Amino acid sequence: MKRIEAIIQPHKLEDAKEALKNIGVDGMTITEVRGHGRQKGHTEVYRGMEYKVDLLPKVKLELVVPDPRADEVVRTLVNAARTGKIGDGKIFVSEVADAIRIRNDDRGDAAL
Amino acid sequence: MNEVAVLPPPSSEEVQQTLARRTAEVEGRVRQAYASTLEPLFRTGLAVAAVGGFGRKELFPYSDIDLLLLAESDKNLPPRENISAFLQTMWDSGLRPSHSVHSVNDCVAEHADNAEFTISLLDRRFLAGDAALWEVLQQKFRQFQLRRAASLARQIAALAEGRRAKYQNTIYHLEPNVKESPGGLRDLQTTRWLLMLEPREGAPDLSGAFNLLSALRLRLHEMAGRDQNALSFDAQESLSEHPAALMRDYYRQARLVDQAVRQALEVSTEKAGTLLGRFHEWRSRLSTSDFTVSRDRVLLRGHKPPQDLSLFEFVARHELRLAPDTIARLQGFTPETKWEDWKRLLSLPKASVGLSAMQESGVLPNALPEWRNIECLVVRDFYHRYTVDEHTLVAIASLESISDGRFQELMSEIEEPWLIRFALLLHDAGKGSGRDHTSASVEIARGVMERLGVPQQDRETIEYLIRHHLDLSSVMSSRDLYDGSTARALADRVGTLERLRLLTMLTFADISAVNPQAMTPWRMEQLWRVYLLAYEELTRELVSERIHDAAGMPAERARFVEGLPTRYLRTHTAEEIDAHFALAQQLASRPVAVEIQHAGGFYKLTLLTKDRPALFASVAGAISSFGLNILKAEAFSNASGVVVDTFTFADPHRTLELNPPEMDRLRGVVRKVVEGKQEAEKLLRGRPKPFLSSRMKIRPRVSFKNDASDGATLIEIVSEDRPGLLYDLANAISLAGCNIEVVMIDTEAHKALDVFYVTHQGHKLNDELQSELKSELLAACAGSR
Repeated sequence: MKRIEAIIQPHKLEDAKEALKNIGVDGMTITEVRGHGRQKGHTEVYRGMEYKVDLLPKVKLELVVPDPRADEVVRTLVNAARTGKIGDGKIFVSEVADAIRIRNDDRGDAAL
Repeated sequence: MNEVAVLPPPSSEEVQQTLARRTAEVEGRVRQAYASTLEPLFRTGLAVAAVGGFGRKELFPYSDIDLLLLAESDKNLPPRENISAFLQTMWDSGLRPSHSVHSVNDCVAEHADNAEFTISLLDRRFLAGDAALWEVLQQKFRQFQLRRAASLARQIAALAEGRRAKYQNTIYHLEPNVKESPGGLRDLQTTRWLLMLEPREGAPDLSGAFNLLSALRLRLHEMAGRDQNALSFDAQESLSEHPAALMRDYYRQARLVDQAVRQALEVSTEKAGTLLGRFHEWRSRLSTSDFTVSRDRVLLRGHKPPQDLSLFEFVARHELRLAPDTIARLQGFTPETKWEDWKRLLSLPKASVGLSAMQESGVLPNALPEWRNIECLVVRDFYHRYTVDEHTLVAIASLESISDGRFQELMSEIEEPWLIRFALLLHDAGKGSGRDHTSASVEIARGVMERLGVPQQDRETIEYLIRHHLDLSSVMSSRDLYDGSTARALADRVGTLERLRLLTMLTFADISAVNPQAMTPWRMEQLWRVYLLAYEELTRELVSERIHDAAGMPAERARFVEGLPTRYLRTHTAEEIDAHFALAQQLASRPVAVEIQHAGGFYKLTLLTKDRPALFASVAGAISSFGLNILKAEAFSNASGVVVDTFTFADPHRTLELNPPEMDRLRGVVRKVVEGKQEAEKLLRGRPKPFLSSRMKIRPRVSFKNDASDGATLIEIVSEDRPGLLYDLANAISLAGCNIEVVMIDTEAHKALDVFYVTHQGHKLNDELQSELKSELLAACAGSR
């Protein structure tokens, strides 16, 4: 099993969810997050005063999928969330040791 | 999905029969067990009684069965094994009672750590055993109850408040607990107890609420097979084919219970007579010829309330509440309202206090029949916590306690806050109509505004706000904020700065009132970014964009605005444009048209004339020479070379107010400097130099931007404000041989924010000129010119 964590632009969330639904993935956790990567934030001017915006609003999607599906999910996310500009976000993929469904003790892929 | 058969809550007759049947059945088994175990051993000196819900004959299928074993004295309590036999018999017959053994004296003593026990005795009922012993308790307890009524009431109130606090003191829960939640059965019982201890007039009839809550609880017990009282989403669906309608009924009843219990709790805590209470008494000097104020509660002096909204205005202005007696007297009261009445109420900073009082007393739906559409209306999802009417009131209240500094400031800049409050009042009025709620709300609002006689311009703004109340939220979540077209589309749709402010704050309120956690810092940041985006678009870029062929205007007027910056249309109301146009007509017969208005503690000078070099600086100088303090200024010129300058200024020495002839002299001096007959420099020479602190709090900053506009250089200046600053800055620009195309001046407390669009011989400023001018401007900021 792989854990896929995608940090994307807020306005791309609906597209990403729709795209995942189309390939049959509908379980995920979504969090509203703030942060920055290379985009670093920027200065904005309001009424002649500059102020720095260093944490930008983003959305984090987390999902765990069986190994064979991981590539497809990542590709789908990339296509859905890409605008080609700085700040599009990142996707992290990591190994998951086990999954347990609390309700009935299902384990592994069966619990996803 | 599995279709589950819906099992609606039983009728009130059915509820009463079921509760009575269950009570009788349990009673029979308790009596039987007593007769077979304890009765033969204790002919006298022992009795068994039902207490709590069992005592009230309100036994639900799985509610606790509370028994009291009453002994004559602590010395002859029945031995443990005898009691065990009694309990065992009942367990064997399938009952699971909770029991306690107490002597008569024990029952009439206070138990600070077990107030629940004493409270359960309020509902005691003899079942079996020594009837004479029971009579002794009855007599003693009646005396105890009379003597200790106030203290018992306080204990009941403390328990109720603790329980209600666990549910955040609100009836609005998506999955309420019909027993424990505020507005539930426990609250209902609390009002009964308090009334029993301290009888009073005018307590509301809660039988309808009891019937519904009991019916729900009965079904919940049957469905779960245990003492389960949470009205979960699943349960709501099993109870009705129209869960939203079921929940609407629930909230209607829960609200009545909640109001009743809050009133009852108030009465019992007031009697406590604390220092705080005496402090509140002091407020009574607020009393007027119409209202008396006692302990922060408003009572009516006359027999009837005033026909307008002045009662609620009074409540909102002083942040009071209606006394229970006032609420009782307001039943069925329908005020006759006009727009002016609403405007007065809604212009108060704590308008929501008045609106809540209208809601609590039932006057709001009478004054505004459209309110009935949304009363207790449920939006059934995991997100909306409040019923639509409550959401509306919470939204209006959320504008009164903004914790974020940026939005707080934005709210304070809104010139007509009643518009946003009125728009909020009706923004969801079309919900429940079964179609797109936004356009339904607009239609409803139109009817209301027609009836109240809202002036056309306010009507347009309110309609606009309702129609677009979801726009900013949708931009926040579904538009790329970095894409330039997003900002342009938004600015086009919003049109003017005032509308942007109104719509931003309306969105802020709407999101804040979805549920207590809905306005996350994340959302706040997104909303602020959307506001900034549109703000920048409206203020900066539109300055360089000029009006050409203005649509929807008479030809003469279109010629007047031709060539003015687009910003002009976006920052001025139609009335202001009309006034400017009228002034422009005067230019046919005279070289200068000047008008000075006094409004809201400030003066506004409007000047129209043919443009000439150093014009702006001269006028600024003339105004400063009267000791007046310029707060805002704008200068625009149209295609035919007519400039429209506006200066908003304060009169710190009350020169104009105390010397009316000075007003004419100011007008005359402005005319003379414009016509070149007098020099501003000379006028200012006589004025005392303002005192300048050696350590300025704001470090002056001057920045140049050549790419902000197609034809001019943008100069932004931030500086500590001081009298005469604008003249010095404008003069420095003029002396450098530059022409001021557009000016926007604003002040925030002691900070001046000045923006000039400047050209030199028709072109942008080159680097050399920029650095020269920069040092001149910095010197002007420091007052050393």
